[in-house]
Amino acid sequence: MARLSHQPWCLASALAVPLLAMASPGLLKLAGVSPSWAVLWLLPWALVDGPVSGALAGFALGLMLDALNLGGASQVPALVLLGWWWGQISRQGPPVERSFSLGLLALLGALLLNLSLMLQFALQGTPLEVLRLSGVQILFAQTLVTALLAPMLCSLQLLLWRRQISSLRG
Amino acid sequence: MPPGRSFRVPSPRLLVQGWPWLLLLLALAGIRLSKGAFLSELYALLSAPFWPGSAQQEWLQSAQKLSDQTQLAQLQQDNRRLRTLLDLSHAHPQLLMAPVISREPGGWWQQLLIGRGELQGIHPGDAVLAPGGLLGRVASVTPITARVTLLTDTSSHVGVWVGRTQRHGLLTGVGTARPVLRFLEKDPQVRPGDVVVTSPASTLVPPNITVGVIQAINDKAVPAPEAVVQLSAPVEAVDGVQVILNSSR
Repeated sequence: MARLSHQPWCLASALAVPLLAMASPGLLKLAGVSPSWAVLWLLPWALVDGPVSGALAGFALGLMLDALNLGGASQVPALVLLGWWWGQISRQGPPVERSFSLGLLALLGALLLNLSLMLQFALQGTPLEVLRLSGVQILFAQTLVTALLAPMLCSLQLLLWRRQISSLRG
Repeated sequence: MPPGRSFRVPSPRLLVQGWPWLLLLLALAGIRLSKGAFLSELYALLSAPFWPGSAQQEWLQSAQKLSDQTQLAQLQQDNRRLRTLLDLSHAHPQLLMAPVISREPGGWWQQLLIGRGELQGIHPGDAVLAPGGLLGRVASVTPITARVTLLTDTSSHVGVWVGRTQRHGLLTGVGTARPVLRFLEKDPQVRPGDVVVTSPASTLVPPNITVGVIQAINDKAVPAPEAVVQLSAPVEAVDGVQVILNSSR
C-alpha cells in the first residue's frame, strides 16, 4: 500500500516545522504570536496518511518542538491526539477537501493544542492570573492565525500529497 | 509763510488725500512707542535660518557624549579595581558578542536563540545583555547556539533592587511584555519612574545592570506591593546581544 511515510522526502518536509517555528516570520504573526506550524503540517499529513501515521508524526513533531522550547509543558499529547483524530476523519467519511473544513479542523486543532499547554502550565503551579494575562491572548491569536492560514497552506499540501500517493499507486 | 497772509487750516480734502502719509506717521509712532518691537520681531524672523541651529547643537551633544563616555570608562575601571581589591566575584566580567538568530517573545515560551554556544565559552546561567540593559539568562547551550530565557518568561525570577530607595525585590516574568516586581517589604517607598537594576546581592546575575523602569505600582497586592516594570532593552528590535561569561568557572 502506498504510504506517505515511506517517502523520505515527504518525511523530510516535517523538518520545515521546527525551522519555521524558529524563524517565526514577522509577516505571519498576529499580535506577536506565530501560527502553530505543527498543526498546519500535521493536518494534511494525517488526512492523507491515516490515524497511525498521523499519531506517530504528531509524536515526532511534538518531541522536536519540545526540544526547542524552554520546557514546562509538552506539545506531544495534543499533537498525537490530533494526528489520530484527523486520520480517523479521513478514514470514516468522504475526503476532506473544502477550504472551510480545513480551516475549521485547523482552528479546533490549534485550540486543543493551546488548551492542553495552558492546562499543563496551570497544573504545574503557574498562577491563573498569569495565564489570564498572557495565555488567553496567545490562545486566541494562535488559533485565529492558524485557522486563517490553513485553507491556503493545507490545501496545497493535500493536493501535493494526494498526487504523490496516486502516482505511487500507478 | 509769506508775510501778510493769514494762517489757514488745511482743508479736509487735503487731509483725506494724504491718508497714506498719516498712516505711515502712525506706524512710525507705534514703532517708537513700542521700543522697536516690530523691527526686532522682523529681524528675528528674517535671521532665523542663520541662528545657532541643529548642527551646533549636535556638536555640543557629541562633545558632551564623549565626555560622558570617558567618565564612564574611568568609573568602570575604578569599579573593577575596587572590586578586585575587595575580592568580589564578577571582578572581571568577560563580554561575548552574539547574534540573535531566532526570537520568540510572544508565544508560550519567551526565548531567544543566539549564534554562540559552548565552544565560545557560554554556559547555562550566564547573563545576557542588550543595548539598554539586562535581557535574560542562558537556559541551555549547544556547541554553537544558546537558548536565552527572557525576563518576561514565566520561569524567570531575578533579584533586583530600586537604586533610589535601595529596596530589594524579585522580578518575575508573567508572559507579557512587562514583568512584575514583587517587593519584600510592606512599604517599598518607590514611585513610577524609578530605575530598577540588578541586585548587588544577586548571585545569578552581575550587580547594578539596568533592568527597566517602574511603570505602575499596585499597593493593594498581598503580601507585599507589586510594580509593573517596563524593560529598558527592546526585545523586539535587538539583533545582537552580549553574554557575560562567568569567569569563576
